[in-house]
Amino acid sequence: MEFASTLANLVVMAGFVDALGQFLRPENLASVVVDGLAKAAIYVMIAGGLTLIFGLMGVLNFAHGSMTMIGAYLGGLLMVFAVGGTSSGATRLLVFFLALAATFALLAGLGGVVEVGLIRRLYDRPPVYQILLTFGLTLILDELVRIAVLFYGMQPTSDWQAALGTKPWFLSESVDLGLISVSGLSLFEIVIGTATVAGLWAFLTRTRYGLIIRAGSEDAEMTEALGIDVRRVFTVVFALGAGVAGIAGTLLMWDPAWGASVPLAADTLLPAFVVVIIGGLGTFRGTVVAAVIVGMADAVTTWWFVNEIDFASLPEMTIFLILVMMLILRPQGLFGVEEVGGH
Amino acid sequence: MVTILPDVETMVTVLYFGLFAMSFDFISGYTGYLSFGHAAFYGTGAYFVILVANGKIPLLGTGTPFIYLLILGGLVAAVLAVLIGAVSFRLSGVYFAMITLGFSQVLYVFVRDWDFVASNPRDGPAVLGRTEPFSVGVPGVDSLDLAIGQLAGDSVEGLLGVLSFGTTEVSYYMIGLVVLVCYFAMQRIIHSPFGRVLVAIRENEERAEAVGYNTFWYKLGAFAVSAFFAAVAGGLFAGFQRSVSPESSFYFLVTGDALLASIIGGFGTLAGPLYGWLFDETVTEFLSKAGEGGGLLPYLRDNLGQATMTTELYNGLTVGQAIDTFLNGHAELYVGVIFVLFVLFIPNGLLGTVRDRLGGPVGKQVARRLRGDEK
Repeated sequence: MEFASTLANLVVMAGFVDALGQFLRPENLASVVVDGLAKAAIYVMIAGGLTLIFGLMGVLNFAHGSMTMIGAYLGGLLMVFAVGGTSSGATRLLVFFLALAATFALLAGLGGVVEVGLIRRLYDRPPVYQILLTFGLTLILDELVRIAVLFYGMQPTSDWQAALGTKPWFLSESVDLGLISVSGLSLFEIVIGTATVAGLWAFLTRTRYGLIIRAGSEDAEMTEALGIDVRRVFTVVFALGAGVAGIAGTLLMWDPAWGASVPLAADTLLPAFVVVIIGGLGTFRGTVVAAVIVGMADAVTTWWFVNEIDFASLPEMTIFLILVMMLILRPQGLFGVEEVGGH
Repeated sequence: MVTILPDVETMVTVLYFGLFAMSFDFISGYTGYLSFGHAAFYGTGAYFVILVANGKIPLLGTGTPFIYLLILGGLVAAVLAVLIGAVSFRLSGVYFAMITLGFSQVLYVFVRDWDFVASNPRDGPAVLGRTEPFSVGVPGVDSLDLAIGQLAGDSVEGLLGVLSFGTTEVSYYMIGLVVLVCYFAMQRIIHSPFGRVLVAIRENEERAEAVGYNTFWYKLGAFAVSAFFAAVAGGLFAGFQRSVSPESSFYFLVTGDALLASIIGGFGTLAGPLYGWLFDETVTEFLSKAGEGGGLLPYLRDNLGQATMTTELYNGLTVGQAIDTFLNGHAELYVGVIFVLFVLFIPNGLLGTVRDRLGGPVGKQVARRLRGDEK
């Protein structure tokens, strides 16, 4: 008995060492890194808007996942309508960028309406009420989308295949990069994610309005005293955050791992929270770094699950374990200053 | 015939889920710490009952009386709460909510893929190996013990010569009995000096510390008590349904439902969440799909004339189609709207508002007015 179990352990160990050797081979490592960067791009897109909203307003927007999901459906809708079966790849790409702009505008409008109509009433109450309100909003938005989707005879629980089908052919192919071949979609996601981060960063640090936003998040009262209408800034930031969620959703619609469906709301909300908290609430830099960490952890554990460890939820579990470890070791997050909110 | 109140089967779920919502309110409503991972304890209690019934827990036979299982499951959850709380209570506000959410999601994904709990962990375990029914009462005394469950439960014939109850009704009374006992226990704790300190923590934690209370231990104690009752609720759920799934027990939206019930019923009123959940279930049932005991949809279909049903509203959409589109099983939407309205305009919830109007707890005020006492 003793001997047998030791032997079994040795066999498992040998397999593990073998797998480790496999994992450390340069081509595998490189493909895991690219995969991780693609996932990080997705995470930063999902979480970017959430960070902006929390950083300035201290509102933890529970409806963020729903907004991402609505963005996925809207983007998909625009693509399905504008792209015929014969459209060339370049046309599809062009339409996609138009769809990005359109969903950004639409979701920003929704965000602005939500802020003015609902959230504005709650600034003088404890922060828990904003969580409650946006949680209720999630229920409403998800159910409205479900009604709409069912009305047009689609499956709300499974991915929207027609939208997936609007992807240009070269994004489904693999690109040869010497050592490794990478899927075109991963590269595309990295490009879009980087562009979004760069755009937001430039907006926050290089424009006058970005300066006002940062000032407002540092000290709203002082900014108010300097003659800036902070309430309008709040509305703009909420709209911007929702718009970024819309862009993220449109990108996810093409990714077979995500796809447009109603449960996408919950599936994106939790990772977004995790990334924002690990990075430190409300710091944009922290969110970017955390997205890279979480994306890499996701890619590495995905590789291990595929090749060695038979546990399907390993990547998902790792993400939450990172969250828990982070909160134990450094509650304020990587770049967080101190606790926001509280009593 | 339009039914407005939920049927008995729904009322059973109102009872055990109401208990879970009460336990959530016990910690979140009274100390102000939003326990967003409370589903972890509910799930622990539910899984514990089923795992013992399937003989997967060492030292406990498959036939262990149900009442013991509830208590043991509660203790397991309380230990878990102490472990989670020891880490989490160093944080507050949003951070506390997020770390508890993180813990519960870790457990959720773990349970969802752990083939020890069931052959198909994604669907969750069901009771397989147990011959004894899950019965509530005094273990070992047959006449003071009634089994719960829709199919496996007892039915009572001719109690006092006139009363007969079907299995679901027996479950309703027996589960209600457990919930009532748990409610009184929590009520007792809230009104003890210990409970007063919890309220002090909610109102002003720094001051409570300055007065000399070690708030950390109080919060941890409250968390453990709350987890105990959450697990009892989960155990009742498992005992009645005889199967659980990760989505119905450990998932974070289960906590969301408890939050919903607490807000609608009254945050920081112990009995409120039960009324809140009753309200929620009533709305859900009233708007549920046809053929699931729904109230409104069959009523409209039966009583609206053909001419009305085929009237075109807009762009080819008839009234009949509109009713189908917006009412058929979309209660979530209306519950969400009601919830948002409550948050905006009735922040104290149903029971809280009633208490504000009466000027104190309902029982005391009603008694005072009946006796005609002066204030």
